[in-house]
Amino acid sequence: MISPRIDRSTRVILQGISGRAGRLHSRLMREYGTNIVAGVSPPKDINEINGIPLFPDCASAVKATGATVSVALVGAYDLLEAMREAVAAGIKMIVTPTEGMPVHDALKAKRLTQQAGVLWIGGSTPGMAVAEVAKLGFLPDVSLKSGALGLMSKSGTLSYEAGFRLAQGGIGTSVWIGVGGDPVKGVRYSDLVPFYAQDKQTRGVLIIGEIGGRDEEDFADALKTHAFAKPVFALIAGRTAPEGVSMGHAGALTYGNHGGYASKRAALENAGVRVFSSLNEMAEKIADVF
Amino acid sequence: MYLLEHDAKQLLARHGIPSPQGCLLTAPDAGSQLPPGPWVVKAQITVGGRGKAGLIKKAVTANEVAETTAAIIGQQAKGRTVRAVRVEQQVQGAGEAYISMLLDPAAAGVRIIMAAQGGMEIEALPPNALHMVTVAPEAATLAAAAEKLAASFDGATGKALAEAGRAMADAFITTEALLIEINPLFVHNDGSWVAGDAKFVTDDSALPRQPEQHALLADSNGPYVETALKDTHGCDYVVVDPAGEIALLTTGAGLSMMLIDEMRAAGLKPYNFLDIRTGGLRGETRRLISVLQWMHQGPNVQVMLINVFAGITDLGEFARLLVSALRDVPEFKVPVVARLAGNGMETARTVLVEAGITLHNDLDAALAEVRGHLKGRK
Repeated sequence: MISPRIDRSTRVILQGISGRAGRLHSRLMREYGTNIVAGVSPPKDINEINGIPLFPDCASAVKATGATVSVALVGAYDLLEAMREAVAAGIKMIVTPTEGMPVHDALKAKRLTQQAGVLWIGGSTPGMAVAEVAKLGFLPDVSLKSGALGLMSKSGTLSYEAGFRLAQGGIGTSVWIGVGGDPVKGVRYSDLVPFYAQDKQTRGVLIIGEIGGRDEEDFADALKTHAFAKPVFALIAGRTAPEGVSMGHAGALTYGNHGGYASKRAALENAGVRVFSSLNEMAEKIADVF
Repeated sequence: MYLLEHDAKQLLARHGIPSPQGCLLTAPDAGSQLPPGPWVVKAQITVGGRGKAGLIKKAVTANEVAETTAAIIGQQAKGRTVRAVRVEQQVQGAGEAYISMLLDPAAAGVRIIMAAQGGMEIEALPPNALHMVTVAPEAATLAAAAEKLAASFDGATGKALAEAGRAMADAFITTEALLIEINPLFVHNDGSWVAGDAKFVTDDSALPRQPEQHALLADSNGPYVETALKDTHGCDYVVVDPAGEIALLTTGAGLSMMLIDEMRAAGLKPYNFLDIRTGGLRGETRRLISVLQWMHQGPNVQVMLINVFAGITDLGEFARLLVSALRDVPEFKVPVVARLAGNGMETARTVLVEAGITLHNDLDAALAEVRGHLKGRK
């Protein structure tokens, strides 16, 4: 897996730049420091948006700019095709904030990116950021303060709130990765354990999880497998959510013994993770030990 | 969607997986539409452990069916109310096996699980009783893998698992399923089989291209009310406690879930979960108006708490839309407590103060004010 650590020299293209979200976020990302070198958009009368040159397809954008990273802001049903195009063009890391990608499309996208050695962050991800350096996606600037805490989250808003409170308490983040709220996602918490283990800026890791799936349990296993030596913290949403209903995120669905809170908390605690019950507790206790 | 067993079985039947004859009853019935008896009467509710909860009962006479139906309908389990039962012909003299197909998110494939014993939760079986394999999410590959896995079982069980596996492979891919589990799979001595129980979880994101699943949303007050609301209104709304006292106007799935957990831990009773998606309001009040109308239906709702953390959304615009929506739903008269943080906070404060709403920066302070509005509490 390639490193998710981006910097201001990382060349980024934006697929779907001419849409509403593409126009807004290309500007916000660029203002933050992200080196957006090209936008991909069906040919129209314009040849640039927010000062970013447009190309009709990924291949020509990559050829002209040497970009290695793509942020795809296209419709849920167009996402698989956009990812195929990006992978074929030689992109090495793709961030897909779009919500509502069909799960069977996500299975295909995951196989495609795995086989090509491409790092996929998403779907339904708020994005990722190296605080005070560059960001890909929607992470709000007020929550981003540079520091030593690695942060991974399924949820956008809960991580914004957590990052904001931590920043207010003086705790900043190193590399923040929104893994996203879909049941089948690209990179998962467990895949990123080796990265955070070797990342020099990172001195501890916080995961913001939620009910549904087995990502938190697999993360706990990976901590043990890799003998992860930095302190790990967790906050898990949905302890009191009703069974059998998706809670906003497609992945946040429990049925029977599947995906419940208790199993996640037990697995994490068993791997030495400090699991918090509230945002306040999280902000206070991390500030105490960090 | 986690489908009700009855819907799951009807959908599976269309994809070559038969079940015992059965019908859906929403009220006791003297027996005109019943299949041949004896019967089993099964509560239609999407929570596990129905048997242990007394929500699955056998019946020998049509009168017993009517009595059992009357007794089961209206019962509650894990916050959900039983609105219907499936009355099904009992299967006698058959063995019970297990088969399921489910997503394997780590391997980006579909996992097939088979066992010669069924009827209990698979967690209760010894691990070596479960035969499993994960393969690519493609119909022919899945069918071939299911047949191969079934070949490790003897006689009638092997024959039934192979046939059911082939049919399930096609159903799983065609319906874009997340999980299909048949437990028990009733197997007769000659290898013929039917699905005893069916658990079927479909992908809400695929609904626009799955018309037979989309049709299940036709009754907007039916069993899939949350999915129907999302389909129509573009936001996620779940009544988490029909007797709840605090309506929540919130955005973001994770933050909204966490707020509910924290409020409950503090002894408060939230009425609903909401991810309104402020980014999708697009300057219109329509979605906010609908949400306020739904909240008004909560019989015990005494106060509304707004909690929005705005990374990108402009809170000033949100506050204006909110005040306008509140004006358009005058019947919803409860006090409003707001906690906003992020972009455009100062404009939002001006707009809300003019409308008589106190704005808090701090969630704990907002919760303290919420508490003050609850009747009969300190």
